[in-house]
Amino acid sequence: MPPFKLHSPNSLEEAIEISRELSESGLEFDWIAGGTDLIPNYKWHINVKSHVISLASVTELKELSTTHIGAMVRINELATDKHTHPVLAKAAKSIASVMIRRSGTVGGNICLDTRCYWINQSESWRESIDWCHKCDCGTGADCRVIPNQNTLCVATYQADLAPVLMCLNSQIHIASPSGKRSMPISNFFKLDGMTRNVLEPGELITHITLPSDSKEWQGDYQKLRQRESWDFPEAGVAVLWKSNPEKEPIQLRVATTGLESIPILHEDESKSALENWEGVSSVDELAESIKKAVKPVKNTWFSPPYRKKMVKVLTKRACRGLLVS
Amino acid sequence: MVGYKQQPGKLPFSKPGSGGKNSFSKPIEENMIPSSQGGKLKQPWGPHRHDSLVSGQVIGKDTALVDSNWKVTGQAHYGDDVRIKGELIGRIVRSPHHYARVISIDCSRALKLPGVVAVATGADANNKFGVLPVTKDEHAMAVDKVRHAGDLVACVAAEDEATAREAERLIEVEYEILDSIHDMRDGLKDSFEPIHDRGKYHIGESNVQKRVFQEFGDVSGMLSSSVASYKEDWVFAGVNHAFTEPHAVVAHWDPTGRLTLYTPQQVPHYVHRALADVLEIPMHQINVHRTFVGGGFGGKSDPFPHEMCAAILARKSGRPVRLTFDREEVYWVNRGRHPSRIEMNLHADEEGRICGIETDALIDGGAFASFGHVTTYYNGVLHTAPYEIGSFHYTGARVWTNKPASGAMRGHGAVNSRCAVEVGLDHLAEQLSVDPISLRLANLLPPHSSTITGFRVTSIGMRECLERVRQESGWTKKFRRLPLGKGIGVGCGFFISGSGLPIHWDPNKFPHATVHLKIDMDGGVTVHTGAAEIGQGSDTVVAQSVAEVLGLPLDMIRIKSRESDTSPVDLGSYSSRVTFMNANAAISAAMDIRNNLIDATAQITNSDKQGLVIGDRRIFQKSDPSVGVSYLEALHKAQEDRGALISSGAYRTPPMGKTHKGAAAGLAPAYSFSAYAAEVTVDVETGQINVEKVWAAHDCGKALNPLAVKGQIIGSCHMGMGQVLSEEMRYSRNGSLLNPDLLDYKIPSVHEMPEVTPIIVESNDPEGPFGAKEAGEGPLLPILPAVCNAVYDAIGVRPSELPLTPEKVFKLIEKRCKSEGILDPLHLSPPSLNYSDLQTTLENRASEHSTRDISRRLNEERSEYYNGALFGLDPSIPPDQSDPSWAVRVTPDQSYLDDPRLAGSAWKHTERRKRGEEK
Repeated sequence: MPPFKLHSPNSLEEAIEISRELSESGLEFDWIAGGTDLIPNYKWHINVKSHVISLASVTELKELSTTHIGAMVRINELATDKHTHPVLAKAAKSIASVMIRRSGTVGGNICLDTRCYWINQSESWRESIDWCHKCDCGTGADCRVIPNQNTLCVATYQADLAPVLMCLNSQIHIASPSGKRSMPISNFFKLDGMTRNVLEPGELITHITLPSDSKEWQGDYQKLRQRESWDFPEAGVAVLWKSNPEKEPIQLRVATTGLESIPILHEDESKSALENWEGVSSVDELAESIKKAVKPVKNTWFSPPYRKKMVKVLTKRACRGLLVS
Repeated sequence: MVGYKQQPGKLPFSKPGSGGKNSFSKPIEENMIPSSQGGKLKQPWGPHRHDSLVSGQVIGKDTALVDSNWKVTGQAHYGDDVRIKGELIGRIVRSPHHYARVISIDCSRALKLPGVVAVATGADANNKFGVLPVTKDEHAMAVDKVRHAGDLVACVAAEDEATAREAERLIEVEYEILDSIHDMRDGLKDSFEPIHDRGKYHIGESNVQKRVFQEFGDVSGMLSSSVASYKEDWVFAGVNHAFTEPHAVVAHWDPTGRLTLYTPQQVPHYVHRALADVLEIPMHQINVHRTFVGGGFGGKSDPFPHEMCAAILARKSGRPVRLTFDREEVYWVNRGRHPSRIEMNLHADEEGRICGIETDALIDGGAFASFGHVTTYYNGVLHTAPYEIGSFHYTGARVWTNKPASGAMRGHGAVNSRCAVEVGLDHLAEQLSVDPISLRLANLLPPHSSTITGFRVTSIGMRECLERVRQESGWTKKFRRLPLGKGIGVGCGFFISGSGLPIHWDPNKFPHATVHLKIDMDGGVTVHTGAAEIGQGSDTVVAQSVAEVLGLPLDMIRIKSRESDTSPVDLGSYSSRVTFMNANAAISAAMDIRNNLIDATAQITNSDKQGLVIGDRRIFQKSDPSVGVSYLEALHKAQEDRGALISSGAYRTPPMGKTHKGAAAGLAPAYSFSAYAAEVTVDVETGQINVEKVWAAHDCGKALNPLAVKGQIIGSCHMGMGQVLSEEMRYSRNGSLLNPDLLDYKIPSVHEMPEVTPIIVESNDPEGPFGAKEAGEGPLLPILPAVCNAVYDAIGVRPSELPLTPEKVFKLIEKRCKSEGILDPLHLSPPSLNYSDLQTTLENRASEHSTRDISRRLNEERSEYYNGALFGLDPSIPPDQSDPSWAVRVTPDQSYLDDPRLAGSAWKHTERRKRGEEK
């Protein structure tokens, strides 16, 4: 692994102060939370920085309640805490393996780097394909998945928490030397496998808040992968709804992950499904429209056509609770 | 005089006890003594030549491996754990190109880097090496060309790893890129720049490394009686062994000028030979030290270029060099199972006999030969049993491509074509409306028979394996009776228990395995064996054999198997040869010492040595156990005027087999048999397969250590499941290996493992040690077809491409839905079965054959049985002598060449020497 200087602040204030100092000196750095994503990438020399700020000792970021999830809450804690929303807990429990969940954090999972066969490789491997757009090592290399489009990186976002948090309409809270800001998590992501989200250099996620009515939302999270034990999702679908006393959905949200460079909240599709709700046939239509809405590319284990077809199956399965009379 | 007596003039040691921790000898366990010796151990398969050596100590008992404490306490030293003072760290510079000529290598910048001590390139080692003497085609580092991405170009040794890695980047290599080939089918064509040049033996101008043509019997005659056929073009992805420990090596030229190479190797002896060739020094100047091996599975059974590199760097630098692979480098050296395209044709006649098997196997060898010569044969000849077949036609070809080299992997060469055969049999059973287990049971070769290719088969427990899995899995209640998405399937296996010919053939009847024993006054037995303990338990089985024959507890046996300086030559841990050959050698060495002890006892007790038997650390008269001496008393008597007792035992295979070209490939002193039933759940909407339960019966002759046999069965099941479900070395369209890491190379984890019920069948092989045969590779074979057949039972689709990822299964489901006009796969119906009249015929035949088999296995005066008797030929005469239309052909005729199969088209090329050109 390339050498870097590790900073270990004990408070959020101190962490931000270090980030300010580094930025002012023109030094690039990475935040490190659980390290389960960053360290493997560093070992492969992927976009390494000479400074790393660890958030491990920043206690303010570890708070967990029904409506507040600190960025440094471990995924395993979220998965097993009795106050966690059941769908969020299900998604958390499905992430990687228990060892990784005990290290990986909520903030880290949301910020998970995008993945691609052409980037998640050793340095010599990437050299053998003359690098790629995402880590071009100064060569201006083209994208290896979709050549001749030198604008976007199409590496795939393969994290599980985001779609559920999107459906729960949660807010994401960000801090930096220049102050704090927050936004709905669906606005947090930015369609590009390199920039991935709106975080500016020096910014970090502090926590997520859930709306007070989140308990009233039911739903499911379904994911596709080769091995249930620890593979990244090749497709993930979260469907959450709020029902009236007749158990008909009055609000519905669908979000997907593992299919593009960012997770996507499918507002139009869920809205039109809800407009003329007719049970089974509406679910079928919704599933078909989600399938059409996603645009996976060929850079993970399963092929794009299969993943699209499975999105339909996963959506239907996630909607099962809507059809139980 | 009975007992020990201190004699004047001898050393005044105290009266010896029995030896071992407990000074009292245990009574003999009658349950462990074979009935042929008057004990209570039942022998349904008859007596064995080693029965009289059984002392009831350890054979047949669950035994923890003798080296397990080293491992579980973390004290085992694997390749990378070896530390020698003053070591340097070695790194290898690898090719980024699939195929290129090396124009120049500039090491000057690397050499200027502080901390860099030595660099080496292909110019430092010109001599070729390779595991098979006929196909030595590897260099320590590229001499002229690099042949796959990851091929070795140069190496560097530095004071620490970071410096070595930095130096690796500073070595500048100039290449001229050549057109690479990645599709194995392209390897069959002529090429401007074949990957290797075989000189006058080059086949056309192609990349065909080896081709095989074999025809036995009257193929066209037999096919005319076919009423059911199976034809499928199979595609198998290449898989890697994915052992836990990446390759690692330490080379040390000691102050006397000798080289010690520490390496986790399965075949230290071949490394020894290759080092001598490459370094141009005599073998006696080299000590190959096998470290603990963190898994091999065939992937550590070639002499490797990095081993040469470490030795070269150590020689250049004058310091020890340690070189350890990253996981990615393990994939570059590979030697995994060949990616293959196999056309499988099976034919059955109206009596449900397998009247013909026609196989065409094109296998992708990658950039080097490795074991490929043998693999090409194995893809054919290893599916000529356990069934009696009417005719056999095989064409095979192995081609070079610009990929990491394929080689030997657990189940070497037999796995893929076996899968195709067993799935084909399931299809034949479906067409004939019979039960697939009944079909198999009615077509088995009897024990002590000869296969169609002339292999001498001794013990066969195939029938019992099938019957046991049928019973224990509840087969009859489940097969074709489970709901959509649930299924059960069966598959069988057949594998060699040691290869009949050693790789390095020596004219002077050099033994395959040799074991030396030494016992001094302390009574402990030092065993010197070259058998490579790779985690399979070879140290344990050798220790068990010695302990059993000498009547000693296992803790009195110490195995020294690591160093070529002290170990007798052993060919290594491949082809499942170790238990069969080394335990036989150990038994014969121990018998020598046993005779010494019995002679000494006879002298001390003044009794007849014929009546003496060995029990737990005591030698006594069988008729009067009070007449006898302790082990130590006998030992000390035997040491009179002589000192330590020393003996040597060896094993060599008996002469066997036929004389046609390639007849030796697949010959073995014994063969193992296995049958699995697998129960699966298939998600019809996603294609995801879950293997729920496996009943795994394996005929290992005699389980010397049932615990280890069960471990091998479960481990094989896991490894085979990986290949059938998810493991594949996946290449991109431009030939890059996409998944050289253990996240994307998808090995099933413990969560994916089914509940495996191991069933041990003991067919008591007449030549095996105490009746034993192999258990390390054979049990892998049946899991692949069992899962494929279970998938058919569940959803009615027949796979022909592995791994069977959900995506591939889903495609098959979609195809079936489309052909039946069904929109929702949940509305598919699972296959059903109504028995035809043939079912009764088969059951009756199976029952007759069962009686036949029992009488053959028990009757030592049995007559000959040649494959073909089921089809009306005289069983006692070789078929080519009794039937004029029965042929043995090893080269194709023109009519075949006019319309060859895929691999068979390799025969369209003419060797250079036969074209009158010599290059």
